[in-house]
Amino acid sequence: MPEDSFETGVAVGERWARTDGRAKVRGELLYAADQPARPCLDVAIHRSTWPHARLVSVDTTDARAMDGVVAVVTGADLHAVLGERMLTGPAFADQPCLAYDKVRYVGEPIAAVIGYGPAAVRRAAEEIDVAYADLEPIHDVDAAIAGTAFVHDELRPSAVFGDLRHLRGKKDTNVNYEYTLRHGNSGAAAETAAHTTSGDFWCPPTHHVPIELPFTAAWPEGDRIEVLSTTQTPSYVRQTLADLLDLPLNRVRVRCAPLGGSFGAKMYDRLEPLAAALAWTQRTAVRIAVTREEAFLLTTRHGAAVTGSMASDEAGDIVAAEADVRYDTGAYADVGPRITAKSGMIANGPYRIANATVRSRCVYTNKPSAGPFRGFGVPQVTWAHESLIDELARARDEDPAAFRRRNLLREGDVAVMGTTMHSADFISCLDAVTGAVGWDAPLEPAAGRLRRGRGVAVGIKAVLTPTISNATLQLNQDGSATLLISTVDMGQGSDTIMAQIAAEVLCLGEGQVRVVTADTDVTPYDTITAGSRSTYHTGNAVRLAAEKMRDRLIGLAAGRLSVETTDIKLTSDGVVSTQTQETLTVPDLLLGHFGARGTTLTTEADFATSWAPYDKETGRSPQVTEHWFAGAAAVQLIVDTATGRVHIEHLAVAGDVGRAINPALVEQQLTGAAVMGIGHALFDELVFDEGQITNGTLLDYQLPSIKDMPDRITPIVIQSPHRSGPFGAKGVGETAIIPLAPAISNAVRDAIGIRFTRLPLTPERIITALAEQHTEGGTA
Amino acid sequence: MAVFHRPGTLGEACALMAERGDAMVYGGGTAVQILEKQGVLFASDLVDISGIPGLANIEETSSGVRIGPMTTLRAVETSPLVRRVTPLAARVYGHVANPRVRNTASVGGNLAHGDYRLDPPTALLVLDATVELTSSGGTRTVPLREFFVDFQRTAVRPGEIITAVEIPRQDEAAGSWFAKLSSLSANDWPCASAAALVTGGRRFGRVARRIRLGLGAVAPTPVFTQVEVAADAGADEAVDAARQAAEPLIDPIPDVRGGVAFKRHLALVAVEEAVRLSWEERSDARGFFRDRRRRR
Ligand SMILES: Cc1cc2nc3c(=O)[nH]c(=O)nc-3n(C[C@H](O)[C@H](O)[C@H](O)COP(=O)(O)OP(=O)(O)OC[C@H]3O[C@@H](n4cnc5c(N)ncnc54)[C@H](O)[C@@H]3O)c2cc1C
Repeated sequence: MPEDSFETGVAVGERWARTDGRAKVRGELLYAADQPARPCLDVAIHRSTWPHARLVSVDTTDARAMDGVVAVVTGADLHAVLGERMLTGPAFADQPCLAYDKVRYVGEPIAAVIGYGPAAVRRAAEEIDVAYADLEPIHDVDAAIAGTAFVHDELRPSAVFGDLRHLRGKKDTNVNYEYTLRHGNSGAAAETAAHTTSGDFWCPPTHHVPIELPFTAAWPEGDRIEVLSTTQTPSYVRQTLADLLDLPLNRVRVRCAPLGGSFGAKMYDRLEPLAAALAWTQRTAVRIAVTREEAFLLTTRHGAAVTGSMASDEAGDIVAAEADVRYDTGAYADVGPRITAKSGMIANGPYRIANATVRSRCVYTNKPSAGPFRGFGVPQVTWAHESLIDELARARDEDPAAFRRRNLLREGDVAVMGTTMHSADFISCLDAVTGAVGWDAPLEPAAGRLRRGRGVAVGIKAVLTPTISNATLQLNQDGSATLLISTVDMGQGSDTIMAQIAAEVLCLGEGQVRVVTADTDVTPYDTITAGSRSTYHTGNAVRLAAEKMRDRLIGLAAGRLSVETTDIKLTSDGVVSTQTQETLTVPDLLLGHFGARGTTLTTEADFATSWAPYDKETGRSPQVTEHWFAGAAAVQLIVDTATGRVHIEHLAVAGDVGRAINPALVEQQLTGAAVMGIGHALFDELVFDEGQITNGTLLDYQLPSIKDMPDRITPIVIQSPHRSGPFGAKGVGETAIIPLAPAISNAVRDAIGIRFTRLPLTPERIITALAEQHTEGGTA
Repeated sequence: MAVFHRPGTLGEACALMAERGDAMVYGGGTAVQILEKQGVLFASDLVDISGIPGLANIEETSSGVRIGPMTTLRAVETSPLVRRVTPLAARVYGHVANPRVRNTASVGGNLAHGDYRLDPPTALLVLDATVELTSSGGTRTVPLREFFVDFQRTAVRPGEIITAVEIPRQDEAAGSWFAKLSSLSANDWPCASAAALVTGGRRFGRVARRIRLGLGAVAPTPVFTQVEVAADAGADEAVDAARQAAEPLIDPIPDVRGGVAFKRHLALVAVEEAVRLSWEERSDARGFFRDRRRRR
């Protein structure tokens, strides 16, 4: 539906400026590390140099004797005080904030030095002497599944996810979670298929590289602990710290600041458990400000292997699809099990598929932990299914866009995992991006050593379900409003659009609703700011709170004007009686009600989604998610066959956002995610050697630069309103990154005739594949 | 932590460099700051020479240009004088990193940094530049072709400061090109680079043309070679000859940017590109390529 066919309101659908834009560009915005806090001691961390080893001894004598050192705390020290509570994590209690029995990756924290000044504590941390007893390291997912060395001696599900309980105490495995989907009989169907494609796909681990580095400060405040942290999950962190320190929730305060980017890097258990444990046990204020090099060790995107196949019949219907997915979750499960199930269930793509099988596993290895990353594991499976379907179309001699269009899920279809599609307009996304790059126009061949090609891909993702959001709204007597939510603005613009949602209901203008930065003493519970869930979930809570506020104003006005509530309307001028046309401004109404200036009227609302658990046998569910994200990308590019470089001429991305609360911010999210996806497609990866990251600095870790931008980039907003979204809206933060890498790879395939199955498509991979093609004509 | 000095004269600077244990010159600081952050700066003293008058000048001399060590890379790139007298140098300085780095990094620091992937040395090798080194013991001059002695080692001796780089005038009729190929992000350090200068030819009644080549990132140091080709040869022949001359010098260091085979391949692509375009520029009615160069 075109953008302007909606009823125009006062706020929703408007391109309001970001509330924090001015402060950011002027350098006035205070990030967490810049916020005033009490004087804190600095912390430096001594990290493991071994991927897998027993800790024999940790000698801190020399470090303790150094200038400026106040205390040195080892994992064993904390373990003596906190016991097993020291193990935290969203799915499994498997993350010690300091290792105490063994180390599980190069870079794992072993001891913390507390003292005066970053330089002093860093120097002392180097003087800590650790003796290790080598254990067999596990570097690779498939070796981890097959091998006899284990990262964790036994599985320890945390209390958070009920469906992991049966895994408690399981030994001798590196597979901490497995999801299977069975729909029909894919094996039998594939045997009689007319065309089959298959492949072994690999996406390497990557890092988020937000501009702002992670930071946490913590201090005891009487019988309470206060924490100021860079986190997308203040409510989760409060619960974790309460469990860790055995405190009631009302004695743990977690304060946020706007984040300078995150992409999933600042979620769940990062620096907070260590900072809180140090502050609480040492009864002192500490701050942990990590370096860029340390940030690379804190969390990564899951590397993932997918062995997949797809088959069609003579008519071109997809009769079978299979996927065997192995997520490399590193040393800690983190949220890997969730990713394994939620991304595994769509590993065959958003298509009508008669028979489908998925096996998706979450696997421990001796690497830094993998956790959430824009897309939550979906880009990795999309890499496989969008490559497979492209080859299948080619095997049939059919246009890859047309083949997809014919097979894509439509409104009301039941997807292979059992849930009905709604508000996921893949067809419009596909048509929009192919239309934008001129898909049907003949491709003009490039000159000399250059080859031109076009590619397309679609992507599907389920919103994390079930989750909960709350909102508290204060309407101030002067008519301005203050909104209390625990959604964290990290550049996605949530403070702007949440204000727009409240303003729409209350007929307020730009700048009249202020969103309070998350603070668990003040702002109510919210599951997480992640997974593109906030616009829908928090947005709905905000809408409900605002509607309650509107109803209260109408009730007050009806009393004042002695008319029925049905006669009162709220407008931008105030409350109006439709009978008498008598108007009262909101300030007058509230002044009359309270008899004082500066007063506040408060409403609150909560919004929760529910799901139906997976069937134990088939992995299917009639309500696996509250809603779907649908997106597509199309690209025209040039491959230089001499250098192997890919130059993108035009990249078009589209996402079905239900309804754009702020079209400008939606376009920016689509564009930003697409640019991040260009990096993942072409060169962005963490390189390991024997468990050690070899490119963990910004000198060597490569991100797209201004010179890597496509000549042209076209973000397209598709709006197929969701029946229960706030004003029909859904999220958009991840949509464009999902199909990006396969769209580029499909265009490379079109240009040079080579199918790549491993990301990224570096010039070296392309040159090597071209050389092999020259000698044998194979795939890479 | 190293002690920071800001001498006001070259004499003071030389004295500091001579007296202090492990003194290091602080130029633009773009490399030193990274070493410091990585905890691998082992200097006892840093001698910041930015306060010494006269070290940031670009002057025309009888034979070419003389560039002071504290001249920023950006100033060289944009200098009308350098563009006129040694256009290849101006072009190559303009390819370093990004404007932020070029506005900070110095000509002296760039050479003394000694990295095998640096861009400016490729042009300075081709143009036969010399480096002036000053210490409390006096001044000496080292041809750039002898300056890079080993992996991250230069001819700069302890106590010495680079006080100038002199670049001879580039033959006006010469064709030249710089090819910088990166293998990851487009704005990355080069994975292979080549500067080429084609001189001589019919105009001077000679039968042969000389191709001079400076290569970056393809061996443990920047490397130089030259070859003569008949003036009436085609570009393909010139490229073949240049590739043959370059091949023995290519000795890549494998890393995240590529393995040996790929870097070897890319080095030859860089040679080909640089030689083909400079050969054609030399042979062409010059206007076309001059225009094109300006647009880049
Ligand atoms: C992000 C980034 C990207 C880069 N990309 C490129 C690239 O693509 N191509 C490229 O060529 N380079 C690149 N560089 C390197 C850059 O060119 C060097 O960092 C810079 O030239 C060093 O100059 P400086 O003045 O900052 O040196 P400094 O950091 O001040 O010093 C570097 C070294 O030179 C010594 N030194 C400095 N001045 C003198 C002197 N007058 N006499 C004797 N010794 C001296 C110092 O003691 C030190 O050992 C990049 C750098 C960065 C940070």
